[in-house]
Amino acid sequence: METELFTWHTLSDTLSDFKNGLSLAQNSGAESLLVLTCSQNNYPEEELNSLFNACPLKLFGGIYPMLTLQGDLIKQGALIIGFKETFDVTLLSQFNQLTSENCLEKFITSTLKEKNNFCGQDNFLMFYDALICNIENFIDCLFEHLDHGINIAGGGAGNLDFIQRHCIFTNSGVHSDAILLVALPRTLNTSVAHGWKAFDEPFLVSEAQGQTVQSLNYQPAYEVYCQTIENATAYKFNNTDFFDIAKNFPLGIKDINNNIIVRDPILAKNNHLQCFGNIPINSMVYLLEGNIDSLVASTEKAAVTLFSKLNKTTIATTMVFDCISRALFMEDEFEKELNVIAEHCHSGALFGVLSLGEIANGQSGAIRLLNKSIVISSW
Amino acid sequence: MNKALFLISLQHELAMAIGNKLDLKAMLKIFLKVCFNRLDLTSAHIYVYCDQSGMPSKLLPLKGTSYQHFLSIPKNKRGQSWSKSSILTNFARQLNSAQKSISFQCENGQYLFGFIIPEYGLLTFETHYALADEVQKALQPILQKLATSCYTSIVHDSLVKEVHSRQLIEKKVAFQAQHDGLTRLFNRQHINHLLSNAIEDAHTNNKIGSVLFIDLNRFKPINDAMGHTVGDKILLTLAHRLHSLSSEHIDIGRFGGDQFTMLLKDLKGDYQETINQLIAQINQLLAAPFVIDTNSYKLTCSIGYALFPLQSSTVNNLIKFADIAMYEAKRAKTQRGKQYQRVMSEKIKRRLAYVDDMKQGLEQGDFKLHYQAQYNHYGDIIGAEALLRWQHPVHGKESPAVYIPIAEESDLILAIGQWVLEQACRDIKKLEQLSLPESFNKIAINISAKQLIQHDFQEIVLNAVKQNDIPAKRLALELTENLLVENIEDSIKLIASLKENSIDCAIDDFGTGYSSLTYLKRIPASVLKIDRSFVTNIAQSSESAAIASMIISLGKTLNMDILAEGVETQEELNCLKDLGCFHFQGFYFSGPLPFDEFAKLLN
Repeated sequence: METELFTWHTLSDTLSDFKNGLSLAQNSGAESLLVLTCSQNNYPEEELNSLFNACPLKLFGGIYPMLTLQGDLIKQGALIIGFKETFDVTLLSQFNQLTSENCLEKFITSTLKEKNNFCGQDNFLMFYDALICNIENFIDCLFEHLDHGINIAGGGAGNLDFIQRHCIFTNSGVHSDAILLVALPRTLNTSVAHGWKAFDEPFLVSEAQGQTVQSLNYQPAYEVYCQTIENATAYKFNNTDFFDIAKNFPLGIKDINNNIIVRDPILAKNNHLQCFGNIPINSMVYLLEGNIDSLVASTEKAAVTLFSKLNKTTIATTMVFDCISRALFMEDEFEKELNVIAEHCHSGALFGVLSLGEIANGQSGAIRLLNKSIVISSW
Repeated sequence: MNKALFLISLQHELAMAIGNKLDLKAMLKIFLKVCFNRLDLTSAHIYVYCDQSGMPSKLLPLKGTSYQHFLSIPKNKRGQSWSKSSILTNFARQLNSAQKSISFQCENGQYLFGFIIPEYGLLTFETHYALADEVQKALQPILQKLATSCYTSIVHDSLVKEVHSRQLIEKKVAFQAQHDGLTRLFNRQHINHLLSNAIEDAHTNNKIGSVLFIDLNRFKPINDAMGHTVGDKILLTLAHRLHSLSSEHIDIGRFGGDQFTMLLKDLKGDYQETINQLIAQINQLLAAPFVIDTNSYKLTCSIGYALFPLQSSTVNNLIKFADIAMYEAKRAKTQRGKQYQRVMSEKIKRRLAYVDDMKQGLEQGDFKLHYQAQYNHYGDIIGAEALLRWQHPVHGKESPAVYIPIAEESDLILAIGQWVLEQACRDIKKLEQLSLPESFNKIAINISAKQLIQHDFQEIVLNAVKQNDIPAKRLALELTENLLVENIEDSIKLIASLKENSIDCAIDDFGTGYSSLTYLKRIPASVLKIDRSFVTNIAQSSESAAIASMIISLGKTLNMDILAEGVETQEELNCLKDLGCFHFQGFYFSGPLPFDEFAKLLN
């Protein structure tokens, strides 16, 4: 039994092609549409709003830096998947107004009350604006207040220039500063990988606030980071763009079971390191290193683990949330990663997005924000 | 090495997460969140020891402290509090009785690890893996630190509660100091304070303001007849209604009893119009009936006001002036309110001087009793009405219509009434010593409202009779119809009781009070006196004749004698006789006479 009945994609960045695709999807007999587009397309927002408003089917998705289909990378164009079922979609927005923990807690409890605690809904995809300022607080708070465990996979939408724009799709239009929770009709299985390994002794995070690490081992974080890399490698920060080097050396927080949560340093400012996810004060962080082989190998392991445990009677849909920085790191060899997944995925649609931050459950069941990682999800 | 480093960093991170907040719940939540993330937990729970009132406290087994579920991440499980999870509850019970770290593997493969927060609570972790022994041991010093922080937070929480309850009490005391206990409007002291500020503001900023004094009309009879509970409910309802008028520029207070004050600030040039509108609004608020316990009451009020700084700039004067103006409005029976005028004070001064004159007159024997004889249709004297006369040292002969109302406003009426009673008894004694005609029955004296409500009035009357050694049947009391109706229940009891002691009562000025027949038949009076207004020109007025006829029939039905007052002509007499009235009083027969002359008339 197939879970989806329509797959359409285009490599063209013109709106007219997209309109054609959407029109075909609407006539495919599908009840719900997952619509994914590339940020390079620059579709006029007003036109997208009118198209989505006029769509009679349940519609959800977003704008991502790039898309994937089977083993191919789509740098421009769009992808539409039609499903037989009507999915329950919940849009949460205006996070910039939730400035305190109390506000966020009230907002989430009232949403959960409205949605009857998502009673009977245990499996979700999460599409969100990657530049929401308090995404980790949101997922922590959601986990704390949901009265049942959920399986979840998701990825941050938006553009590589890190300017906040409208990037989340629903029937009411294109939204920014928003999170979309899509309840799936079947069990969601996920597998997570990153392939990064620690290469030095850990550092104490002596000062930090949210995503900004101010000091490591009581020294300015940026200086410690640069010196450690320069001492151990041939890289020199003086003459090079920070991110060109930093994309090779993320930070990692090790948990008690030696699992590493990767944090991508994306910016250096005032001797501080700005990461794409919170780094707790007083925690220990490691400098990580990796290579294409280690990254691809970990992805393959995750794919094997996932596909081997799937129910053989259902032809599952598989969606991949792969971090854009892995593609930037692997450059031309990135499709190796996509191919190893495709090799092990023997049935159903396989597609995905290159995301800015990934969402998945940890082994304990808690929801985690990941960086530089891949989340393979099947339902 | 790495393991050791991990344990040290774990201890460091957890230790640094303790004590970041003072509030107990917030402090424990931060700690639990760090545990949750760092130890990769599935759920985490804290139980704290609580005293008998359920407040977190140190473990004191002899004082009945017991542990209670306090905090969990996630908050609930499948719509239910974790405190209802039997596995967790049993585990917590075992942990509490063991008072040392324990662990347990559940059927689903998950683990539970329990730790003691020394003297303050229990900590439980649910994990998907077995927590290493060295990690459990590394947590022990952290839990000691957590216990110290719990102590600090509990002390802080109790201080916060104490400060909060103190603030509440202070707020309450401050409120009580400024507000009336019944109506919760401002009290007199606070209105005075606000008025003082308003006067100062008016001076500084060249503004005009006003004080309104509002007094309910005829509220006392309701309070007396229906009780203070009903009276209080009416006042409370009125206070709510008046409160609807309060604003930035209008303060409302209860001055006392059924008196309210309004302070109007920052009045504009057309202030007279504003005040008139406000008075109209107050009357409007009173127009709706006051429905209390299924009874409906209609009330009106009298309003006086004074302006500041135009008429005075002192609090006492302004309140006094508004009060004086209110009394003028009450006298004038107007609902439009009266503004204070200086002549009102002068009038009061004159009135006070007049009261002093009356006091002196009473002491110096300037008051006399004259007697107007009462006759039957055969022309025999059957009795007399004692009438008060006063020779003012300056004004000469004063009319009772002038001085009796003034005396009634002060307590002087009681002294005058007492004198009349005693003098009448003395005169009866003298008459007793003469040979009185057989037809002569009694001397009637007029009784005022204030005398009637004296709790020992009957005793006073009987004492006078006894001290003068006269037969009680020779004395009668005349009470006006209005007076009786105001105090109906007490009056009925009093008249019945006097009748038992042979003292009869007459209802004076009958026909003017619109009294209910239901009441009338319950009043055990002996005589109905037809008011002179129905007697004058009775022969020419068919309306007067009809009313007199009705009163006569009524008297007969109720077995009362009928006496017509103010008979001045033969024509009136004949008409009354034709209607069936056979007892008379009036100038046709005799005017009021000094005692000696009256005695002669009798003879």
